[in-house]
Amino acid sequence: MLAGLFPLYWVLKASLAPEAALFAAPSLLPREATLEHYRTLLAERDFWRPVRNSFVVAASTTVLCLALGSMAAYALVRLRFRGKAVLLALVLAVAMFPQISILGPLFLALRELGLIDRAPGLVLPYLSFAMPLTIWLLVAYFRQLPPDLEEAALVDGASRARVLGEVVLPLAVPGLVTTGILTFLYCWNELLFALSFTVSAERQTVPVAIALLRGRYQIPWGQIFAASVIATLPVAVLVLLFQRRIVQGLTAGAVKG
Amino acid sequence: MRAGGSLQAGERRLAAGLLLPGLGAIVLVTAFPLAYTLWESLHLHDLRMPWLGRPLVGLANYAELAGDPRFGEALAHSAFFTTVTVTLEVVLGLVLALALDRTFRGRGLTRVAVLLPWAVPSVVAALVWRFMFEGDSSVVNALLGRSLPWFADARAAWVPLILADVWKTTPFVALLLLAGLQTIDPALHDAARIDGAGAWRRFREITLPLLVPALGVAMLFRALDAFRVFDVVYVLTGGGPGTATESVSLYAFDVLFRNLRFGYGAAISMTVFLGAFLIALAFILLLGPRLVQEAER
Amino acid sequence: MTQGTTWGVTRGVILASVATLVLGCEPGREEGAGPVTVTFSASEVGREAQLLRAQLARFMRDRPDVRVVIRSTPDAADQRHQLYVQWLNARVGEPDILQLDVIWTPEFAAAGWILPLAPAADDEADFFPATLAAHRWNGRLHALPWFVDVGMLYWRTDLLERAPETLDELARMAAAARGPTVPYGFVWQGARYEGLVTVFLEVLGAHGGRILDAEGAVAVARDPAVRALRFLRRAIHERGIVPTDVLGWQEEQTRFAFQNGQAVFMRNWPYAYPLMEAEGSRVAGRFAVAPMPAGPEGEPTAALGGAGLAVNARSRHPEAARAVIGYLTRPEQMLERAEVLGHYPPRASLYADSRLAVALPIPPAAAAEILERALPRPAIPVYSELSGILQLWLHRALTGQSEPADALARAAEDIRRLLERAELTPPTEDAAAGSE
Repeated sequence: MLAGLFPLYWVLKASLAPEAALFAAPSLLPREATLEHYRTLLAERDFWRPVRNSFVVAASTTVLCLALGSMAAYALVRLRFRGKAVLLALVLAVAMFPQISILGPLFLALRELGLIDRAPGLVLPYLSFAMPLTIWLLVAYFRQLPPDLEEAALVDGASRARVLGEVVLPLAVPGLVTTGILTFLYCWNELLFALSFTVSAERQTVPVAIALLRGRYQIPWGQIFAASVIATLPVAVLVLLFQRRIVQGLTAGAVKG
Repeated sequence: MRAGGSLQAGERRLAAGLLLPGLGAIVLVTAFPLAYTLWESLHLHDLRMPWLGRPLVGLANYAELAGDPRFGEALAHSAFFTTVTVTLEVVLGLVLALALDRTFRGRGLTRVAVLLPWAVPSVVAALVWRFMFEGDSSVVNALLGRSLPWFADARAAWVPLILADVWKTTPFVALLLLAGLQTIDPALHDAARIDGAGAWRRFREITLPLLVPALGVAMLFRALDAFRVFDVVYVLTGGGPGTATESVSLYAFDVLFRNLRFGYGAAISMTVFLGAFLIALAFILLLGPRLVQEAER
Repeated sequence: MTQGTTWGVTRGVILASVATLVLGCEPGREEGAGPVTVTFSASEVGREAQLLRAQLARFMRDRPDVRVVIRSTPDAADQRHQLYVQWLNARVGEPDILQLDVIWTPEFAAAGWILPLAPAADDEADFFPATLAAHRWNGRLHALPWFVDVGMLYWRTDLLERAPETLDELARMAAAARGPTVPYGFVWQGARYEGLVTVFLEVLGAHGGRILDAEGAVAVARDPAVRALRFLRRAIHERGIVPTDVLGWQEEQTRFAFQNGQAVFMRNWPYAYPLMEAEGSRVAGRFAVAPMPAGPEGEPTAALGGAGLAVNARSRHPEAARAVIGYLTRPEQMLERAEVLGHYPPRASLYADSRLAVALPIPPAAAAEILERALPRPAIPVYSELSGILQLWLHRALTGQSEPADALARAAEDIRRLLERAELTPPTEDAAAGSE
C-alpha cells in the first residue's frame, strides 16, 4: 500500500525541492524546502488560468450531465417500456467508446461552429463520455432505492413527474453527489479532447498545461511537480472526503453491470 | 390505480420525454460523429492540401492502412500493451483484493491509498513515472545501482509505461474484485473448511468460479481502456523512441493533427473502434450468458 | 432535509454552475475606438525576446494606434511548427503575425493560412533573390524575409593554421588535431530532425547533388547523394572523427561540445558565434568561421535557413500586422539584429554598410558571397513531410541500420509517392511510376 503511495509522496517532495537538488542523488526525506516552483508557476506562467478553465468545463459538464442524466436514469429504472435492456447496453457501450474514433468529426464540427478554443467547445465533446457514465451510475443507484415512497405518492394521485421531482430527487442526493464527483473527476483528468480542441495557452485545461510544460530543452521538473500537486489537489480532496461514496459508486456501477 | 393501456401510453410518453434530452445528447455527440468518421474514411481529406479537394476514394485509405508498417506496429504495440497490462492488473488486483478482504483496521486510509493513484490525472501519473526513470541518476537507476537509458531503448521504454498504467489502475481493478469477493457467501467457505479443504483449494473451487463475473467485467473494462490508451503514452514516451511505443490512438492523433490527413486518420480511427468492438464482442461471447443475465435484472 | 430545502439547494447549485459557465466564456475583444491589438509569435531564445521587445516598443511609439503583444512559443522549431499548424488549422485569428522558418512558408501559403504580401518595388530588389524565392508560392510572396541563416564551419584557430578547403582535407585535419583534451574531430547536428537535413544538404551540395533537381524530379537517390551520405557515415563509424553522440544532438548540444573545447570542427548556424565569444566560453578568442568546404565535383554549399514574417489569413487586423512587419524588416532594425544577435540580414545593400562589418565575424563581402550561393531546401508545400522521410532514412543509414544506397533509394521512393499524392509531380518524371 505504502509502496503504491510512494510516487505521489515523491511528487510532493520534489515540488518543494530547490532546482539543483532535483538531479542530485535522490534522498528519501527532503533536505531543503522552497516554494519557488509554485511561485514561478502561478506568477510567471499564469497557471491559475488552466485551473479555472478545467474547473469551468468540468463543473458545467457535470451539472448538465446530472440534470439530463438523472431524468434518463429514472426513466430507465422506474418506467416500463420495451427495449430497456438494449438501451442500457448501448449506453454502456458508448461509455467504452474509443474517443479517438470521433475526434476528427468533432474537430471539424467545432471548427465550423467557431467553438475551438472555447469552453462550450469542450463541454459538448465531454458529454460523449460523461453522459453515459452518469446515466450508468445513476441507474445503478436508482435501482437500490426502494420504490415504496414513490408508489405511495402515486397512489395518492401524484403524477410521475411530480414524484420524480419531489420524492425521488431528495432521496437521490447522495447518489447524485457521488455521480457528480466521479463525473467531475473524469472531466478534470481528461487529456485527448482538451489537447485537440483548445489551441491557445489561455484556454488550456490543467492536464494539457502540464503535458505541454515540457516545451524547452530542459524539462522543468520542479515546476511540473508543483503543477502536478496543484492538479491533484482537488482530486485528492474529493477522494479524501468522499472515499466511501466513491468506492460504492464505482463498484455498484460495475458489479451490477 | 388506473388500469389499462392509457397508463402504459402515458408512461411511454413520459419515458420518451425524460430520455430524449440525455440520450439525444449522447447520440448527437457520439453516433453522428462516428458515422461521419466512417464516411470520412472513404474520402481523401488532407487539410494541408486544400487544392486536392475532398474526393471520394472508396477503400483506398484502408488499402493504404493495410500496407502501412507504422500502423501494423502501432496495432502490435496496442495488443502487447493490452495483454500485459490487463494480465498484470488482474493478477495484482486479485492479490490486493484478497488482502483487503481481510483487513479491518485502517479501512479509510487503505481506501484512500488505493483510490489516489486511480484518481490522479493520467498526466501526473505519467510524469511521475517518467521522472523516476529519466536520466542517468534517476530514482530507478539509483535503486538498481546502474545507469540505464530507459527511454532511448525501444524495448526498455515499455517498462515505465506499463508500470505507470499498472500503478494507476490496479486499485480500480482491486476495488471491483473486492466488491465481487464481498458478495461471496462466507458460509460456503466455512462449509468447505469444515470439510477439510485448504486455502488454495477453497480459492480455486469456491472463490474463483464465483468471482468470474466480476473478473470478466474488470477484464473487459481494462482491455478496452488499454486498447484505446492515449494519455499515458503521449506524456510518458510520446510514442518514442521514434515510434517504438506508439499506440494506435497515438498514431491516429498524429495523422490527424500533425499531418492533418483527416481521411486517412478517420480510417485509423475506424479500425480502433472496430478493435474495441471486437474485444467487447469476444468478452460478451465468452462470458455472455452470465453478463446478459445481470443486465436484464 | 425537507423537500423545499433540497430544491433550493439544487436550484442554487444549478444557478452557480450556469454562472460559472457564463463567466468562463469571456467576452470578445472590444472593437472600434482604441488601439488595435495584434499578437506576435516569434522565437524567444536567449536575447531575441529582449531585442524584439525593444524594437516593438519603438514601433508602438511611432504608431500609438497599434498595440503589439508577444505570445510565446516553444523554443524547438519542430514544436513551434506543430503549434502553428494547430493554430492556423483551427482558424483562430491569433496570432496575427507569425515568424515562419524559411521552409514553412510554401506550406502555409498553399494551405491558405497566410496572406500574400507585397514589398515596395525598390525593396524587392534589395533582398537576396534566394531569400525571396524561399518565401514565394505560386508566384506570390507570402512572408518578408526577416533574417537569414547559413550553415558554416567553425574551426579552432589554436589547433589549426587555416580552414580546410575540401571535405577530405577537413577529415584529415580533424583526425590529426584530435587528442585526449579534444576528443571530437567534427561535430554536427545528427539527431533525427530538420537540422540533419540541412547538414546533409551541405554535404550533398559539396558533392554536386540536390534533393530535387531543376525540374523537380527526385534526385536524392542518385550517385552524389550516396557518396555524400557515405562520407558522413564513414566519419562516424570508420574514421572515428565524429562521435556517435551527434546522432542525438541538435544545435545546442553541438554548440556546447565545441564551446567546452571538445571539438576541432563544428558545423552550425551563425547564432553560435556571439554566444561562444562571450564569457564562460572556453573557446572564446580561439575559433573562427569559414564556408563549408566542397567535396569532389561539387561546390561549397551552405544550407539557406532563416525566418520570415507572415500575416495570419484569419487575422482581424491585417493592415496593422503588415505595418509591424514592414517596420521590423527595415534596414535599421535588421542591422540592430545583426549587432545584437549576430543574425545575418537578407538585404544586400547592408553588406556595403561599415556597421555590419563590425557586427559580423567575417567580412561582409565574404558573407554576401556565401549568401548568394546559399542553397535553399525545396520550396514545396509538402516539404515537412519530405523532410520527415529524409530524416528517417538518413538517420537509419547513419546509425548503421541501413546501407546508404538502400536508404536513399527507399527515401526517394517515398518522396516520389508523396509528390504524387500531393499532385506536385513535375511534368517530366524519370521514375517508372505511372500516373493518370
